Amino acid sequence: MNLRIIGALVAKDLSLFFRNRFFALITVLGLVVYMVIYFIMPKAVNENLEIGLYAPVVLPAFEQMQEEGLEIEVIESEELLKEGVTEGQYVAGVVLPADIMEDFMSGQKPKISVYFAPDVPEEIRDAVGVLIRELAYQQTGQALTIEITEEILGPDLAGMQIPPRDRMRPLFAVLLIMMETFGMANLISEEVERRTINALLVTPVSVKDLFFAKGITGVSLAFVQAALFMAIIGGMSRQPLIILTALLLGAVLVTGAGFIVAALSKGFMSVLAWGMIILIILFIPAFGIMFPGAVTGWVKAIPSYYLVDTVHRASNFGAGWGDVWYNLVVLLGADLALAWIGIMALRRKLR
Amino acid sequence: MAHDAIVAEELTYRYGELVAVDGISFNVAEGEILGFLGPNGAGKTTTVKILTGQLKPKGGKATLLGMDVAKNVDKVQGDIGVCFEVTNLYEQMSAIENLRFFARLFGVHSLDAEALLARVGLAGRGKDRVATYSKGMKQRLMVARSLVNRPRVLFLDEPTAGLDPTSSESIRNIILQERERGATVFLTTHDMLEADKLSDRVAFMNQGKIVALDTPHNLKQQHGKRALKAKISTESGGLEDREVILDTPETPGAVQELFAREKVVTIHSEEATLEHIFINITGRGLQG
Repeated sequence: MNLRIIGALVAKDLSLFFRNRFFALITVLGLVVYMVIYFIMPKAVNENLEIGLYAPVVLPAFEQMQEEGLEIEVIESEELLKEGVTEGQYVAGVVLPADIMEDFMSGQKPKISVYFAPDVPEEIRDAVGVLIRELAYQQTGQALTIEITEEILGPDLAGMQIPPRDRMRPLFAVLLIMMETFGMANLISEEVERRTINALLVTPVSVKDLFFAKGITGVSLAFVQAALFMAIIGGMSRQPLIILTALLLGAVLVTGAGFIVAALSKGFMSVLAWGMIILIILFIPAFGIMFPGAVTGWVKAIPSYYLVDTVHRASNFGAGWGDVWYNLVVLLGADLALAWIGIMALRRKLR
Repeated sequence: MAHDAIVAEELTYRYGELVAVDGISFNVAEGEILGFLGPNGAGKTTTVKILTGQLKPKGGKATLLGMDVAKNVDKVQGDIGVCFEVTNLYEQMSAIENLRFFARLFGVHSLDAEALLARVGLAGRGKDRVATYSKGMKQRLMVARSLVNRPRVLFLDEPTAGLDPTSSESIRNIILQERERGATVFLTTHDMLEADKLSDRVAFMNQGKIVALDTPHNLKQQHGKRALKAKISTESGGLEDREVILDTPETPGAVQELFAREKVVTIHSEEATLEHIFINITGRGLQG
């Protein structure tokens, strides 16, 4: 390999990348937009359960619960309460009957209505039901006759909840990296379609130099953007070395993906089409961060899972090398595999 | 005596079952211009690809400047310049950027890009993006690009195709200047007149084989016929064509008879063209 030649090729590719208005725009815009979204998202976790209450007589026990993580807002009418629940202002709306105290006194069961929005998870419904029974018991002064045992499944993250914007942090960083699949693939595809590659291959440029230069360009573009993003939003305050390593391996991963897309594509539109398919596949694991429990074990077959998981755990929970080494090894393996497949596919196309 | 810059020995190349180059052998001396002619699909481009290191021959050997091309691709490619028929420039870059980029690849640090552009008639347009150039300007820039490393062997594929007469003439002059400098020129073209005018020797390629290789003069002598073309006045006042084949034992008598018996209005000699010779040899035209 010839470093002078590789340097010239990388400089040319970077220059051409930023002269392509589309890719220059999505690169700069992506970086800016993700940062703006990050900074306008809530930076604290709201752990309160907001419940609307319509009650002609507010029970003392309900007032007491305000201080225990519940936000109970008293509503003027049952209709307004229903409206608030429908619009998502409250996770539940509770209606206490006017004669509730009399019912309690006389030992009769009062009839309490609870409204839920259609998308409220089952566990919230159960929790609100339990809560109301608890309040009723507190109000009547009768002791609970059941014994509750708690079991924590998986890591106990109580008190470690992540603010929404920090939950999105690895997602944005990974998305920035993934977007470079398009840029990388387009650079190579244009080189082939416009036959400039033929002009290069009758100079002292070897095929190895060419792939190496393209690889450096792709990795640089993806890595620098993601690292810059993480640095600006303070995402590297914990375990910066691990995060940088993961982002670097992620950048290599998308460069390999870019080679494959370039080998499959003929022109700009097919780069976009194939790139989108690869992007969606690589993006799936990121949903696991946004919506924990939404994705199942099979996502671990997608190499980007190990990137997302590493960045998430290192930046949000301070996971160390001992915690993420397995992820990094798998990611490295996936890098080598994807780069090899991409280079072989491109060599075949060039022939 | 000049050494051979290019030596092809039994070069063979197949695309699957199709034999594109069928055991061809030839040599080109340093400082010589070889016109490489043949119809589409004759194997010219495959031959050039083998000679420039883009393809490895399936059989035989190509030697450039004393080096086996297959074994010394990088070294060989440092000493050659290639001008393609199809435009393949970086269109988002300026002409100067294109030339400087390729100069860097060759390790040339002292390129006077402006002077090179002036040589191909692009003075003052060096900073414009190539995308804004006309086809002719792009073609001239491609020729300039092939010269950035002052190549010892220059491969030119249809360098004047589609150009206006002035641009074509300026490129022909550059080819001759390069020959004067000592460069060997391997010129692939369909333009018989251009090949005739520029080439020291021409090679005819047909169906993967070289069917003739000699100077244009010798080819005409061996395969062509010279003739006198005359227009004579008829009794009715019209004009008729007469032809007398030259270089035969009957020629002197036929010429005498023409002037004695006919009223000759115009007369001129006509030489065989390379195209006629190619058709004579192969039985097919160059365009097909």
